[in-house]
Amino acid sequence: MKCVRCLHDTAAKFAEAPDGSGAWEMYVCSRCNFTWRNTEEDEVINPEKRDPYFQLKGNIEDLQVLVPVPPLKKS
Amino acid sequence: MYRDLRSFLTKLEEEGQLVHITDEILPEPTIREIGRAACDLPNGPAVMIENIKGHPGKRVVLNVHGSWANHALMLGMDKTATVKEQFFNLLEKWDRYPGEVKYVGKPACQEVVIKDNINIDEMLPMFRINAYDAGCFFSKASVVTKDLFDPDSLETENVGTYRLQVQGKDIIGIQALPFHDIARHVTKAEEMNKPLPIAICLGVDPVLTFMASTPINYDQSEYKYAAAINGIPCEIAKALTSNLDIPANAEYVIEGEIIPRQRFAEGPFGEFPGSYSGTRLQTRIKVKCITHRKDPIFENLFMGRPWTEIDYLLALNTCVPLYKQLKETMPEIVAVNAMYQHGLTAIVSTANRFGGYAKSVAFRLASTPHGISYCKNIILVGPDVDPFNLEQVMWSLSARVRPDKDVIVIPYTPGMPLDPTSEPPGMGGKFIIDATNPAPPDLILRETRLIDNPNSKGFEKIISDLQKKASVK
Repeated sequence: MKCVRCLHDTAAKFAEAPDGSGAWEMYVCSRCNFTWRNTEEDEVINPEKRDPYFQLKGNIEDLQVLVPVPPLKKS
Repeated sequence: MYRDLRSFLTKLEEEGQLVHITDEILPEPTIREIGRAACDLPNGPAVMIENIKGHPGKRVVLNVHGSWANHALMLGMDKTATVKEQFFNLLEKWDRYPGEVKYVGKPACQEVVIKDNINIDEMLPMFRINAYDAGCFFSKASVVTKDLFDPDSLETENVGTYRLQVQGKDIIGIQALPFHDIARHVTKAEEMNKPLPIAICLGVDPVLTFMASTPINYDQSEYKYAAAINGIPCEIAKALTSNLDIPANAEYVIEGEIIPRQRFAEGPFGEFPGSYSGTRLQTRIKVKCITHRKDPIFENLFMGRPWTEIDYLLALNTCVPLYKQLKETMPEIVAVNAMYQHGLTAIVSTANRFGGYAKSVAFRLASTPHGISYCKNIILVGPDVDPFNLEQVMWSLSARVRPDKDVIVIPYTPGMPLDPTSEPPGMGGKFIIDATNPAPPDLILRETRLIDNPNSKGFEKIISDLQKKASVK
């Protein structure tokens, strides 16, 4: 399934309304970690209508690391 | 005062500061609309949302701290207490530190224990706070971690509020910035390649939530501060899967571990300056267990363009430490209002010991640990001006500022990276306006006489009572 933000085919369903009503489902992208619910507004979950500023282009590994992994210490 | 969130909600209800929405709603966009509306209303109430589609029986509460009336009630004051009165009340309670902690054997937060088939979005009524957030976030959690090398210390144990993005059934991303206390714990664990136990506590007593977002010293205990301010022992208990101390009466506790030495995409998130953060690589939590009270209440907060609920949790708890640091060496300081975006704008009320003194107060503020990066716009007003009363502050700017002598800009100082004007992120400047009355040998303003206020307090009460009677008719 295609992620609505990074547009890679890396998304899948991970949650649904717990009362069994089928009121909503939720999806997660294993690549960029975006999650969404199928009942949200078009501007949030339709790639055609989302603000392009908030789409994720480029490689995940090129994103800024806010806290770098420190060197290993020997115990 | 308040042992838990529930006792505070009872108080809010008695005072007309809690309302219930019982119509059926979808989580998005309705919950964010409710959150925005509640904090836009004058003295807006907390709002309990009780009928969320797909989540029968689950409740969300918003805006618990989101007005000065609610904030006053949190401090045990009358809901009409002015902000200045609340500032001095908090100042007095601050000095009672450390308060007492009490361990509880069978804590309420562990009435229900779930270790299998964890799915956060099915167990809690999560919602996307702002439209372009990367997912559903916990925005008001009290997050507990310990120093792995100091496991028995309550002082270095940290209770802080950090943004948490649910990224799967049992996966949560966490932002721990280098200057956050939790980052010390994460770094030590990562240096040893060890997972760091963590407890995400939701719906705790209102003062503990307040202290979790207060920048106290690394070796001071949030639990003991909460006890000092609440005036009753803080009840804590041991977590089920680690040695962590958790608030015994929390509505929910999510226990897990921070995965060492790995980073994952996190964000954006609508942040406190009123703009979205970027998407970055951050640390991640694997959840092991969720415990909760019977019929739990999920407390979260809406944050948008200021002011929203988050601003009340970055307000007087920013002012008090700055006041204390200034007052140590500058006894002329009367009050500090650093409530705007965590102190990016601050107003200090001070007397002038001698000519130009107020400008030295500004330099002192700009060199406190918090002020170095945060205090960008600094306004000085005289001791006769209430810095929490913006009408008085504006009067002071109108009537006391000589633009050629009283306005100073200092470029290229440290800045706060989340401030959208900080460019490059982390660089900033200082803007100082001295709106105090000059003292010798500074040039005195041309001779004027201020209008004295008549003694009006007696009539304030009479007129207020008459107004209340008039509104009842």
